[in-house]
Amino acid sequence: MNAPSPALVAPRPERLRLVGQRRQMLTIMHQRLMFGMLVYAGIVALIALRILWLAAFGDHAGRKEGLISLVPDRGDIVDRDGEPLARTIDAWTIAVHPQKIIGDKLEISRRLAELMPEKTVEQYFALLRSNKPFYYLRRRASPNLVEAVNALGEPGLAIQREPDRLYPQTTLAAHVLGFTDIDGHGAAGVERAFDKYLSDPATRGTPLQLSISSRIQQALEHELGDAMTTFSAIGAAGVVMDVHTGEVLAMTSLPTINPNTPGQGTPEAHFNRATLGVFELGSTFKPFTLAMAMDSGVVSGPGQVYNCPDALPVYGHVIHDTHPFGRTCTVAEIMMESSNIGTAQIADQVGTARQKAWLKKMGFLDRVEIELKERGRALNPGSRWGPFETMTIGFGQGIAVAPLQLAMGYATLFDGGVYHPPTILKVGRDHPLTPGRRVFSEDTSYRMRAILRLVVMKGTGRKADAPGYRIGGKTGTAQKLINGRYSQTVNITSFAGVFPMDDPRYVIVVMLDEPKATKDTYGFTTAGWNVAPVVSRTVSRIAPMLGVAPDMRREPNMGEVLPFVHETKE
Amino acid sequence: MSTRSFHSLFMVASCAGAALGCYLVSLRVASERAALDNVETRIVLAQRDLRVLQTEIGTRGRLAQLERWNVKVLALSAPAADQFLGGSFELARLTQPERKVDFQAPVVLASAPAPAPKAVTIGQPDTDDAGAPTAQSPRELIHEASLKTETREVPAKPAAAMPAVAALKSTDGPVTTAKPVAKKSVDRPGLAAVKTATKKSVDKPLTIAAKPVTKRIELAKNDPLAPLPEKHSHLAHKDSATGQ
Repeated sequence: MNAPSPALVAPRPERLRLVGQRRQMLTIMHQRLMFGMLVYAGIVALIALRILWLAAFGDHAGRKEGLISLVPDRGDIVDRDGEPLARTIDAWTIAVHPQKIIGDKLEISRRLAELMPEKTVEQYFALLRSNKPFYYLRRRASPNLVEAVNALGEPGLAIQREPDRLYPQTTLAAHVLGFTDIDGHGAAGVERAFDKYLSDPATRGTPLQLSISSRIQQALEHELGDAMTTFSAIGAAGVVMDVHTGEVLAMTSLPTINPNTPGQGTPEAHFNRATLGVFELGSTFKPFTLAMAMDSGVVSGPGQVYNCPDALPVYGHVIHDTHPFGRTCTVAEIMMESSNIGTAQIADQVGTARQKAWLKKMGFLDRVEIELKERGRALNPGSRWGPFETMTIGFGQGIAVAPLQLAMGYATLFDGGVYHPPTILKVGRDHPLTPGRRVFSEDTSYRMRAILRLVVMKGTGRKADAPGYRIGGKTGTAQKLINGRYSQTVNITSFAGVFPMDDPRYVIVVMLDEPKATKDTYGFTTAGWNVAPVVSRTVSRIAPMLGVAPDMRREPNMGEVLPFVHETKE
Repeated sequence: MSTRSFHSLFMVASCAGAALGCYLVSLRVASERAALDNVETRIVLAQRDLRVLQTEIGTRGRLAQLERWNVKVLALSAPAADQFLGGSFELARLTQPERKVDFQAPVVLASAPAPAPKAVTIGQPDTDDAGAPTAQSPRELIHEASLKTETREVPAKPAAAMPAVAALKSTDGPVTTAKPVAKKSVDRPGLAAVKTATKKSVDKPLTIAAKPVTKRIELAKNDPLAPLPEKHSHLAHKDSATGQ
């Protein structure tokens, strides 16, 4: 530039200083520029890298979220064969925002009353003029109705899809399944017991598999419902259970509800008689007394003889029989003819302490063990449990248990004496069999087979027999306690059966509450006349499904009991 | 010279080309992935539809509904215990043809002493058949008897009755008039008739069948031609087996 050479002109000190400053500024500026450029380049590089990354691994813009897997809003419930028992579907809901209505409210009320006649025009009109922000007109509306309402073209009418719980089999196993409340939470049955599992996003994808078999459930419900109608009973309950695993294959309580519309059921229908209701089930208890006696050595075998008078006065009471022997009788005969007098004597020999201990071991003094929340507590004499109560409990009066508990007791007795808690879930890989505990000895379990088969072959349970299926079991007719007194006319009849008796696999317990006599029963209301045929019909329907082949040539070892039966009677 | 000057240009072009190629690959991958997503979405939607339809079918065909139809219309019931079969043999037994007496079969009479006149009567009933309904029951009796005797007469008869076939099996029950046996023999011919109609092995069974006769006494005495007492045990065995 025009800087003079140092040789000619001596630089002025200010100028020198200026040059130094300028240079300094320049370097600073260069540094800043460089820095800015680096930052800029860095950002560009970042963006470029990000774009490359997205191009290589990223999602594309049109990707739809949430449709990759089909997870319902609430888990399905299926039966043991995978048949759906409860599902969540998208249902149409019709609602109204009264304040957003822009059309003629009277006209709309008229049209709505035509389409949904459950309310009158006046009611609809009042609703539309009210200050309510939102009101459901119809849940689970049919597509036709939705279309018609949509055609009204009123923006104040909201039509939307909401998840809704559907029970495809309607009333089938209603008390087992339960139902959900309006918010979609379980309010009864399995829906309530497994609410967490069914609503948790992590688990609701896999359906909950119950041990219930819908075909068996249907057979049981149908036959039991038939009997209930025939005998004008006020209620009925039934349980079918796997002896070896404690799985409940069918469980019903009548009258029943439709879980799709739970609000319409009466309180009576909502009551689960199979698990929540406890009943004095009468003579169906006698086999337990006998098993206790055989296990503790009081009774040596079916041939042991007792004195069976027409009436037995004990501890200030008198015990009667419906079929009095009036002679000595064997244990086999006591069971066959369901003698209270004989069983009372056996129970007396067992004693209060041992009886209590046994009932405790069998779970008859506690709540029934099952996953459902509706569980009844068994009733017993408690502090009044004296020798006379021991006798009455021996033949099933004075102790009340749920029908499921009774089924569990029979399952225990015939699973070689091993108790497995009943379960409503299918036993398999996800739900392994809970280890059992021994209650009766295997020998006792074996010897009870022939005795109970005898009851059905020759005794009070003859009408329960289904040819070829070797049913064994015991009838029970208990007087019902009404206002603190045992009624002489009102009964609860029950039958507890096991089949096939030569190798017990399934237990069936049925109960009728207050059956009335009919012409066909010759005026009798005892169990042998009304519930026993239910067992016969049900078993001949369900046994083939359960893989029990009928065989007319197989029986348990009847040689153990037949010699002890007085033959001239029949 | 020129190549050297264009060197940088080539470099830029090739870099750009490579970058474009890479980008195209990535674009292609992305579009494939998008298509896959679409398919997956469609699968899920289809599954949802399936579920809805299954639910609907399940609801319409619920067990309670089927039961109601069954009670009202179909009236099907659970199979009884004796309707179950133990195995293929029991199944095969069900296909046994219906046993009936073949009235057209040649009549062969029982009494051995006078074979000649009987042969004459044999021919007559056949012709009479059409006209005489009264002859029915006696003919039946005669027929049974003939079936029994036939075995003994095997050698004698063939001339008279070629279709001896029908009577063939009667040999098994060679007793004279005992009722249960007669019943048996009645059963036999029908079977035999059916079998022989289809099979040609008629002759062989004849000879075999002839043997059992020896079992019973009177006939064998009467008939001079009654053959072979040797296979007694065999035949008895066979008899009992077929009898079942």
